[in-house]
Amino acid sequence: MASTPQILCELSLKILAPLAAIGFLVVLTILLSLAISQNASIPKVRQRGTPVHILVVLGSGGHTAEMLYMLENTFKSSIYTYRTYVVSSGDALSAQKAVEFEDTFARKEESDNNAKDYNIVTIPRARRVHQSYLTAPYSTLRCFWACLLVLGGRHPAQRRLPAQFQSSHPDIIITNGPAVAVCMLLAAKLIRSFIFVSRWAAGRGSKPDISRLRTVYVESWARVRTLSTSGFLLLPVADKFLVQWPTLAGRRAWWGMKKTEYCGWVVV
Amino acid sequence: MKLCFVTVGATASFEKLVQAVLQESFLAELEKYNFTHLLVQYGKGGQHIFEKYATERVKSSDRAHGLDIGGFDLRPSLTEYLRMVQEDSSKHQELGMVISHAGKAPVQFWITKSMESNRFSGTGSILAALRASVPLVVVPNPDLADNHQQELADELACQGYAVIGNVADLPSTVGKAANRRERAPFFLNASKNSLDVPLSDELSFVD
Repeated sequence: MASTPQILCELSLKILAPLAAIGFLVVLTILLSLAISQNASIPKVRQRGTPVHILVVLGSGGHTAEMLYMLENTFKSSIYTYRTYVVSSGDALSAQKAVEFEDTFARKEESDNNAKDYNIVTIPRARRVHQSYLTAPYSTLRCFWACLLVLGGRHPAQRRLPAQFQSSHPDIIITNGPAVAVCMLLAAKLIRSFIFVSRWAAGRGSKPDISRLRTVYVESWARVRTLSTSGFLLLPVADKFLVQWPTLAGRRAWWGMKKTEYCGWVVV
Repeated sequence: MKLCFVTVGATASFEKLVQAVLQESFLAELEKYNFTHLLVQYGKGGQHIFEKYATERVKSSDRAHGLDIGGFDLRPSLTEYLRMVQEDSSKHQELGMVISHAGKAPVQFWITKSMESNRFSGTGSILAALRASVPLVVVPNPDLADNHQQELADELACQGYAVIGNVADLPSTVGKAANRRERAPFFLNASKNSLDVPLSDELSFVD
């Protein structure tokens, strides 16, 4: 008759081994799909002059300032016809800065009805100051859920997009690394994988379609030789990872992944 | 007017820097380079030092090397002060200089404070000064600087965008920064990078 340790050993083999195998497969699938997604080239099908919806993730203080400096040099209302700004709850100043930015932008471009062309959405923080780590997973999930809603255009604070937009998803997402950016970019990835799977299931896999929810991460100008925590986490996720110092160029999450690109100082 | 604007940030006190810019030797050096005004954003921790200095100055009733000295604890934006450092002949302004701290408080503290204070966090004022194209001295706070802020300061100094200052020997940096006018990389207006190309890439336009 087998002794108790032997039975336990057999049991654990029967249960743990398949679990480990499944876990390994899941991790492998995720890693592979991240690699495929990052390296896939996107079909060039977007016509110039068609409406573009850009989603800007603003963080607290320093991140917001840098982001708005960048957009100052970049934005043209002829390209980015609709802008959604995402701020964290409790960060009224970033929201105010975004409004000021839009006002000066409108003055510069001399467009009169631009108040209709942008939207500011406030979403809950992933982890508030001094919040217990026990409840942090819950609030992070709440933040993630809010990101999913925003990306699907279903957040209560969002207005309806102008009629010329065919999709409620933003075309492009830009961030420079506040904590909420991690949630936002992962949410975008999740939605994209759903779109990919459903399209594949419907047998439209080969038809080129306009890519939406593309993500651009710009590492903070203050990072010279080391990536920030958000940057480190998003390195395998972002479609384009830009750095402002040559020392950070060419980094990648792991072998086979896309490398970071040096773009110069875009904040000055 | 030729202004030397000093900012110590809001989140952590940098009393050593406030002390250093109120020293006789530093003021004398400012006078030597024709500065007329000294403005100190001294933060919460520096208030008592600045006020003590101000009352002593009044008592001794001599003008501090011909300098007008002013100070405040915090303001939501530095922009207007940076503008006072820029050259502007219509306002009789000569090109001054900015002395900025580099280093932020421990993360927890940094998040607790209101958003206003975040904007002062080290790199923010450095970037603002660079954008204003004014001579810049960066003084890392030895007690607080994160590794990456020290790296930033080193790299900026290495490429000639800023001078690294040390609270123990601040007077010597005045000359180094004030003589920087002619140095080309100091003025960034020439090349403007933008995100046009990378964003267009991702938008996958037909052309």
